[in-house]
Amino acid sequence: VTGHAPLGNDTDPDAMKTKNSWNRRDFLKTASAATLSALAAGYPRALLADEGGDKPEATADTLILLWMAGGMAHTETFDPKRYTPFEPGMSPAALFSTFPTIDTAVDSIKFTAGLEQLASVMDRGALIRSYTAGDLGFILHSRHQYQWHTGYAPPQTVAAPHLGAVVARTLGPLNPVVPAFINIGQRFDVGEGEELKAFHTAGFLGSEYGPFNIPFPDQAADSVRPPAGMSPTRFEDRNRLYRRLLERSPIGEYGGDYQKQSLLRSLDNAHRLLSSPAAKAFDLSLEPLESIRKYVPGYEPGRRFDAALERFGGYEAQTVGRFGLGCLLARRLTEVGARFIEVTTEYIPFLNWDTHENGHTRLVAMKQQIDAPIAQLVRDLEHRGLLDRTLIVVASEFSRDALIEGRPDRKVKDQVEVPDAIHELTHYGMHRHFTDAGCVLLYGGGSRRGYLHGYTAEERPFRTMDNRVVIEDLHATLYRALGISPKLAYEIEQRPFYVTRDGLGQPIRELLVS
Amino acid sequence: MTPVQLILIGAGFVLATFRATADGVPDESRPLPAAASHSIQFEREIKPIFEASCVQCHGRGKAGGKFSLENRDTALRGGVSGPSIVPGDSAGSYLIELVAGVDPDNVMPQKGTRLTPAQVGVLRAWIDQGALWDDNIGFGRAPAANLMPRRPDLPPAPLGITHPVDRLLWPYFAAQRIDRPGLVDDRVFARRAYLDVIGLLPTPLELDLFVSDANRDKRTGLVRRLLGEHRLYAEHWLTFWNDALRNDYRGTGYIDGGRQQITGWLFGALAANLPFDRFVRELVDPVPGAEGFTKGITWRGVVNASQTPEMQAAQNLSQVFMGVNLKCASCHDSFINDWTLADAYGLAGVYAEHSLEMVLCDKPTGEVAPLKFIYPQLGVIDPTLPREARLKRLAELMTSRDNARLTRTIVNRLWAKFMGRGLVEPLDDMEQVSWHVDLLDWFAADLAEHDYDLKRTIELMLTSEVYQWPAVSLPEDAAGHYTFRGPLIRRLSAEQYLDAVSSLTGTWHLFPSARADFDITPDGRNRNHLPVEPVWIWTALEARDGAAPQTVYWRRTVHWPMAPSEAALVIACDNRFKLFVNEREIATGSDFRQPKLLDLKPHIRVGTNILAIETVNDPARPDEPSARQESPAGLIVYAFVRHRGTREGIEWEKNMDVATDDRWLWSETVDDGWTKLDYRGEDWRRAVELGPAGTAPWQIGDTWQVAESSARLYGRVRAALVPSDPLLTALGRPNREQVVTSRPTAATTLQALELTNGETLANWLRRGAERLVADLPDAGPRDIVIESYRRGLGRAPTPEELRLAEVWLGTTVHLSGVEDFLWAMTMLPEFQLIR
Repeated sequence: VTGHAPLGNDTDPDAMKTKNSWNRRDFLKTASAATLSALAAGYPRALLADEGGDKPEATADTLILLWMAGGMAHTETFDPKRYTPFEPGMSPAALFSTFPTIDTAVDSIKFTAGLEQLASVMDRGALIRSYTAGDLGFILHSRHQYQWHTGYAPPQTVAAPHLGAVVARTLGPLNPVVPAFINIGQRFDVGEGEELKAFHTAGFLGSEYGPFNIPFPDQAADSVRPPAGMSPTRFEDRNRLYRRLLERSPIGEYGGDYQKQSLLRSLDNAHRLLSSPAAKAFDLSLEPLESIRKYVPGYEPGRRFDAALERFGGYEAQTVGRFGLGCLLARRLTEVGARFIEVTTEYIPFLNWDTHENGHTRLVAMKQQIDAPIAQLVRDLEHRGLLDRTLIVVASEFSRDALIEGRPDRKVKDQVEVPDAIHELTHYGMHRHFTDAGCVLLYGGGSRRGYLHGYTAEERPFRTMDNRVVIEDLHATLYRALGISPKLAYEIEQRPFYVTRDGLGQPIRELLVS
Repeated sequence: MTPVQLILIGAGFVLATFRATADGVPDESRPLPAAASHSIQFEREIKPIFEASCVQCHGRGKAGGKFSLENRDTALRGGVSGPSIVPGDSAGSYLIELVAGVDPDNVMPQKGTRLTPAQVGVLRAWIDQGALWDDNIGFGRAPAANLMPRRPDLPPAPLGITHPVDRLLWPYFAAQRIDRPGLVDDRVFARRAYLDVIGLLPTPLELDLFVSDANRDKRTGLVRRLLGEHRLYAEHWLTFWNDALRNDYRGTGYIDGGRQQITGWLFGALAANLPFDRFVRELVDPVPGAEGFTKGITWRGVVNASQTPEMQAAQNLSQVFMGVNLKCASCHDSFINDWTLADAYGLAGVYAEHSLEMVLCDKPTGEVAPLKFIYPQLGVIDPTLPREARLKRLAELMTSRDNARLTRTIVNRLWAKFMGRGLVEPLDDMEQVSWHVDLLDWFAADLAEHDYDLKRTIELMLTSEVYQWPAVSLPEDAAGHYTFRGPLIRRLSAEQYLDAVSSLTGTWHLFPSARADFDITPDGRNRNHLPVEPVWIWTALEARDGAAPQTVYWRRTVHWPMAPSEAALVIACDNRFKLFVNEREIATGSDFRQPKLLDLKPHIRVGTNILAIETVNDPARPDEPSARQESPAGLIVYAFVRHRGTREGIEWEKNMDVATDDRWLWSETVDDGWTKLDYRGEDWRRAVELGPAGTAPWQIGDTWQVAESSARLYGRVRAALVPSDPLLTALGRPNREQVVTSRPTAATTLQALELTNGETLANWLRRGAERLVADLPDAGPRDIVIESYRRGLGRAPTPEELRLAEVWLGTTVHLSGVEDFLWAMTMLPEFQLIR
């Protein structure tokens, strides 16, 4: 038997919408399996420091991290400076924002052009303009991304877990048949792929809490389907054969060994996910076309996003829509009870937000990548009554500038040559890595609405002037919303490993409603 | 899981203590608790207070604020704030001021509960009475455990028990009232031994021969024979050591040159069964090829002081070889053991080019720790020696016969690997007491006495009776008390699982990514089995010194009478080549230092074949047209071409290798069609041989040998030799960014998802089903089921299993059915577990 069919044909929209449709018995089964494997593997125990160890009350059940991979320039996006249009021969020092300023739904907050849809939902969110990346010297994107995602700068003596793994380990799945940590949009066979793998992991928490990777959102359904070329019937038959052979295997006589039990339970769990109605949430072909087009204007079914990774070939413009489908997938997964979802614009050295040249031109495309889908995700979740319990975070590892590499007071080795005078559009943009400011957006899940936190200088250097936000405090804020103490620690090698660096993270109360 | 209240806070550390008030006079407005009126006994009253509240930071080798309670002298000397105990004057003793909490911002102890007024009163009385201190009591560092050599005598042999391991364990079993459960049968034993020594399943033939062998000592014989499989042994143990030494073929750090592989050295060391002391010496004071371990991993940018390469070296060699965790102490005096910042820096400094300033939790201290090994009782390292001499000295100390921690640590790791749990747990904390001290000490001593021969230790473990007991489940009380009742049921590692799937289906990886010399035979290295040794060729002998810039065309017709089972080609050319096989261009290359390894099999036909190579010798100095343009020129090729067959159960092989020699023909001019078999052309002349791969000026003997030996592994490459993939990762292969000395083995849902619908396993099984069916021509479903059970589970199916699988497969063989049957079999606990 060949052919490829999605799991079931049931398109009942109610099954998709009800967040509480999973049944409790499934949950108990899964929970006991997890406990069992935790015991067996010697998985780390949770520890809470005695001071301030009270478990905060959660205002969000789900966290969606929208990752602007490669360094999103604050002055080109959510923190506009004076508009300096392209003029042949202009000095790079005269380069402020390469986009005009636009209004948002909040009077006091302006964006740059190209983010009109996001501007229209600014009243639902909080904006940080004072995020400051770590001081890690000569810039390596993946190293900063590692620090952003784990709270710790590599190398580390133990394998530090990703934020999503901490959430998965601490809170468990929201719906037991949906993986607790879903990671959308990143391939690992690209440049710095090994460095990316180093933090896309549950680390010492154990692989149970690791990412469920979906590099291409349009192919997400494949990840919860029988292998390519296998029909659902054949898949069920295969499973039945396994069960019968298992029943007849002489080893079946050997009772309740934990190794055997964890093996059997894990296969049950996997099978349950693959044949669960929740699996349909992964299948974007079940989404009405008009709804997809709200995320990806002009989308045509069957469109592919595998453009060549060509640095000067307009990659960003050719792949507009991939991130949008990721956002749509995130919405569908949130509806069926995902716990932590990351959607990335994808980190590929010198592509997407990593503009070493043609910054302005490429940012036009990058804004098209993110503007409609993020705004639509906010609207859709709000419309479905899910935004109150879903925290959306938009962030990047650091910002960019036309001149300064690193921090104004501590510059690091340049990676891009900037000419004294800009004659071509190629040099018009923010091509150096800047770590002294950056924008983060929060929507829903107990975050404040229409609130601005921190500001930057109006003249270069466009550095943070007030309310500096560092990663441990940002993490503490996200954890606070999820009901996790920043002082929570897991025991590894008999010592505590804190979910914020050394347990020092302090939630930024102004960003949260309660 | 219940959160456990934790008293120790990672971020906290002991600060230097300063006087409560600026003028140094205690605030008299807060009266001190009155001194106790009775006569104080140090041991009964003072010692408990010190132990509960003080020595964690001011004893056991630590001196917070430079104040140490190690003995009376250090205590009276005081710390950075001067003397803190004035015998006879408790009111004037700074210690009392601190513990009484005179200044609320500066109270001792900083961690844990404060002293009660009654306790302060006792301390005051003790000081007032002269601060007497029993000479035999101190709060220094506890003597190191499991450090010094000790060779316990074997207890008397009970009837029928001769093996030293069993003799040592018998009194334990008597005390624990554990009866001998009997031995596992031959098939279970063989599967265990194969997987433990070489990581592979036994083949059905090997199993049958073993089972039918009537020799009483056949189990010992099998273990010895497997230990003699040098290459297979090395391939298996590469995984264990790659994890421990965090060596991998891909990983972080390589992009910036911040990391170095040690694969070639490691594989050679394992294949040659390098004595363990030498193995450690060559890593600690690195020989060429082994530098990567102590070089560590550096990422671009600035690195935290606790993660400098020197500190990584200190941490990793302590963990792997000494079972010591220095990670906490790399940042501050450890809270979980007795190691101090000075210990970590003392060892890291041995590796440093310049003296290392100690950094306490990211704050420079301005101090440099004296260089030393973590166990200075083993000997000193002269700090005035240059770095090379210091490393040599460190290696000496670590591998001296006096250091039985080294041997205990490795024998414990081996025991844990075979028995599922260590004699000491955790494996990386060798300060803990073993559940069987004599057994641990005896193994360690035996290893040292027998030239540090790890294979001897392995043989001793695997030939003991207890290794042959039925495997048992982890005791219910996983966190608490452990009683040895036999080996634990273990799970196949990621690599073992993949290799087992390969054994079952006959499909392996094509070429290794690991770069090592794989030509290992029981005699060690043996290159004489080659019928042909490739040599560099060109048009004239002078080409070694210089040949004119030119394009040269080469041809070699070769008759391959049988379809090859394996065919790979290695080629290098100074400067450039384009290779055609039977007219089709299959490769180009331009760097002779990196010979190309190619799959030749798809391009070969039975009968006469034509290899044609276009080569170019580039001008020496193209930028200076008037300069002398001659440069060395050469071409070297080796084609590994074999036909393997089985006749009456005996494997045979036809060698059809081809290599560059003077039978290759060259010409400087050709016409179209020169790559065709029937091309005639004129003026073809015989090549001139310039010497083997190691010949100057190229001198690529070693890399050439790596490539050649890799070619000879064609299509039989095991999972340990390739980079991790999603399946291996899901099954627990670590990314080797940190030292890993034991992998978690419990199955997880994400892992099961990868097994159930992952592309990697699906592809293996698809290819595997094709191969299995091709290998068993004319076989019906019944034969396939029987053969699969024999290969995968080491036994024939029961009649019931056979009936079930046969019915399921149907009457004719469908590849998809075989594929699904193989999947179901490899999911079975019987397949995935080691009983």
